[in-house]
Amino acid sequence: MPDPASHGSLLSLALIASVAGMGWLALSMQVHAQQAWNRAPSPTALKVLRWMGSAALLAAFVLCLCADHATMAVLVWFMALAGAALTVAFTLSWRPRWLRVLAPWVRA
Amino acid sequence: MFQSFRQAMAWLHTWFGLVLGFVLMAAFFFGALSVFDREIDRWAIPSTRIEPQPMPSFEKVLRPAFERMQPTQQAIDAMKPRVNGAMPERFDTVVSWSAYTTHRDPVLALFAGYQVPNAKDPEEAIWADTTIDPRDGTPLPNDRLKIGSGFFYPMHYSLTLDWKNLGIFIVGLSALVMLAALVSGVVMHRKIFREFFTFRPGKARLRSVLDLHNLTGVVALPFHFFFALTGLLIFAATYYFPLGHTQLHELHDLHAEVEARETGLPHQRAGVAAGLANVDAMVADAQRRWKANDKAGDVGFLVLQHLGDENGYVSVYRAGTDRIALVGDGIHYKASTGELIREDPAATPVGRMAEFLTGLHLQHFRHWLLRWLYVLGGLAGAVCIATGFVFFVEKRKRQHAQMGSQGARIVDALAVTTVTGMVLATLGILVANRLLPEDLPARGDWERYAFWGTWALAFLHAGLRSAPVARGLANPAWREQCWAIAVFAVSVVALNWATTGDHLLATLSRGYWPVAGVDLFILAGGTISVLAAFRLRRRAQQAGQERAASQEAARA
Repeated sequence: MPDPASHGSLLSLALIASVAGMGWLALSMQVHAQQAWNRAPSPTALKVLRWMGSAALLAAFVLCLCADHATMAVLVWFMALAGAALTVAFTLSWRPRWLRVLAPWVRA
Repeated sequence: MFQSFRQAMAWLHTWFGLVLGFVLMAAFFFGALSVFDREIDRWAIPSTRIEPQPMPSFEKVLRPAFERMQPTQQAIDAMKPRVNGAMPERFDTVVSWSAYTTHRDPVLALFAGYQVPNAKDPEEAIWADTTIDPRDGTPLPNDRLKIGSGFFYPMHYSLTLDWKNLGIFIVGLSALVMLAALVSGVVMHRKIFREFFTFRPGKARLRSVLDLHNLTGVVALPFHFFFALTGLLIFAATYYFPLGHTQLHELHDLHAEVEARETGLPHQRAGVAAGLANVDAMVADAQRRWKANDKAGDVGFLVLQHLGDENGYVSVYRAGTDRIALVGDGIHYKASTGELIREDPAATPVGRMAEFLTGLHLQHFRHWLLRWLYVLGGLAGAVCIATGFVFFVEKRKRQHAQMGSQGARIVDALAVTTVTGMVLATLGILVANRLLPEDLPARGDWERYAFWGTWALAFLHAGLRSAPVARGLANPAWREQCWAIAVFAVSVVALNWATTGDHLLATLSRGYWPVAGVDLFILAGGTISVLAAFRLRRRAQQAGQERAASQEAARA
């Protein structure tokens, strides 16, 4: 196990990657893109967002694996995904525009 | 009976979910609290508010403490009917001494078993237990109710219905139903991925409730599934199909770990007296051996068997804090000489799987983030069930109002009791914990009465205020109990301050998180319920205006 400081930063990065990944996945869906930008980005842009989302979730898993024993990393990852999904869903229903931060290259 | 598979699933989900949802709600809520059971214990027993300690030296601390132990008069009286003849004055033949701690325990639990001469079952021992301060061995109050590990945790798995393990069977049945509800829920939900992130609070009441139900159910689906499953597995291993008996039946912490580990180790006394070699040296040797295998070296459980006998041995188990699997990696030494008898072999793949699954649920690991994520999962489950109740009521109440049926009204009152009422009861026991006199006899029983009493009052209140539901309106008890939660929450934190001096600024600046965390969590709960109360009031006012407007229109 890494020392406490790097353990903490690895896990923080994993959490950030999960939230970003879930956010990108949500934005790659027509309905939610509409909520964030009031219009749907191009199909290619959506596809890019989907790939970025999946990659970020994978990155989160790798970060969890670096932080903990593999058996523990799996659980941390699954639970982090659940937490991230809830965060994104509640952001979408409360302040959907905040999700724009995740994809500044998409013009509103 | 049903036109389609999906309808059949919907029926199953609705009715099984409704009936056992009340139990599941308790299992989820108290399960979430049990994640921090030791911390709640610290809050509830102020004299134990110290930092967690590693297993202390046997020779310096444990041995004198063990030597002071004897069974209580209560234990002796309880054992009497199972003995031929009179009970002895003192119990001197020690079957076992054991000490148990975790990385979150500042106190050390000691257990001692003694042979009983002329016991009808010669295998049956009489037990004593005590709690000590591991720093110097001073005894700590052992009769205080450990509200976290001794009450909320049993609530989680048995509802504290101990009679014939009834509670355990009810909770187990609910876990089984939960698995069925999850599968049927997935079948009913047509748009799992398309509506993965969907929560539309502004939509019609039914829709927004269903959104939240789906959201909290789906995003934490792996959590819900694996916790129901592993919970069942643990029950199956310990209660439903127990493999071999365990004398430490009551000790949830140890579980099946101790079971079946005695292979190759003497089961009986030899009847030949023998001394005890240096136990600290054996512990040091065990730690050296774990280290060689790249495993963290804290001792979690230390057992001395057949003390003072030639067959005596010492077992040292690791506190498995660095991985999920609940593994002891026990190493056993001959008590009289300190020579190694055996090291527990690595588990088989099936055994490792079982260790992982049990460890996943019982959480011996050291990982604060994962603990909090478990709390989140548990609370998400509770929200999922609560919104299920609300959906059930909302869907039917207008129809029931027209038919003059009381069904929705009853379900709604029960829902208030299990949602806000349960939170109130939880705060009620904490209030009692701080208000009852320190030296009150059977103090723990009074605390339990406070819990059930508060819950009963919440039920009465919910029932008395439920009349509007029969007319298709909302039950004001939801809102009123939200206010009550807020008042209780503030009082609990204030009482902690008044009776122990540990206010938030003090605990936070000391960095004493067990108490600061409990206080902050309670205050957060209070804040949420105030927000909910305001929302509910606004909604009630809107509904009132609409009704007035429609009556006006009807009259005109």
